[in-house]
Amino acid sequence: MPERITLFGAGAAMAGAVYPALMAHTGGQGLPCPLRTLTGVPCPFCGLTTATVAMTHGNWSAAAAASPLAYLIAALVVGTAPVLVARAGGLGSAPRSWSAAARRQTGWAMACLVALSWLFQLHRYGFLPIP
Amino acid sequence: MTYAPSPPIFANWGQRAGGYLIDAVPPAVVVFIGAATRSVGLMLLLDLVALAITGYNRWYLGGTTGQSWGKKALGLKLVSESTGAPIGAGMAFARDICHLLDSLACYIGWLFPLWDAKRQTFADKIIRTIVIPA
Repeated sequence: MPERITLFGAGAAMAGAVYPALMAHTGGQGLPCPLRTLTGVPCPFCGLTTATVAMTHGNWSAAAAASPLAYLIAALVVGTAPVLVARAGGLGSAPRSWSAAARRQTGWAMACLVALSWLFQLHRYGFLPIP
Repeated sequence: MTYAPSPPIFANWGQRAGGYLIDAVPPAVVVFIGAATRSVGLMLLLDLVALAITGYNRWYLGGTTGQSWGKKALGLKLVSESTGAPIGAGMAFARDICHLLDSLACYIGWLFPLWDAKRQTFADKIIRTIVIPA
């Protein structure tokens, strides 16, 4: 599991680093969120592209304003990258599958985080009656 | 001596994405040629050809044999989670319709096989399918 998180996060960071240049070069608008395009309501993962681009360009506050979820993913990448490097170098224990209980608990934790992220995005786009 | 049954092996995200991209190439080329003709009639005709290619490849072949061209090239197979057999053309079509849900929330469903225990997308969970090495 750490390998997948790290590799995914590293891939996302690389994509985020070149994304603005790519869009400027091609004149593209990027991929819109279908839910937001169709209904106007943002989804829990809205803002991740903006946050990743901001983070890879050192705009930390802009990243937090777009999606705090990006910070969590970045923390996971930073935390698990040494494990990946150690394993690649033959150090540390071999990866083993998570138990069903661990997967269930992680699933619930992720569901709670996704719900919080959705509340944040609804607030960001002015759908919540709080300032 | 008895042995515990070995856990099922699932195709990883890279393999699945590769198979999907291979499946997308032929219809994309046909649609591109249609757009390049700048003729509305030809464009519509070639769009229908692209749909027919997708229908034959992803729904007929993918449903009846478990292997669309992309899955065959990468040695993968789409099967029912419960029976282990191909799911049939109708369910393969329904699965592709369910792929719309994978796109709905910022395309997160397409990334689910990266961390999911059975490496399923939302569509796989709804149709109860898995992608395995052939």
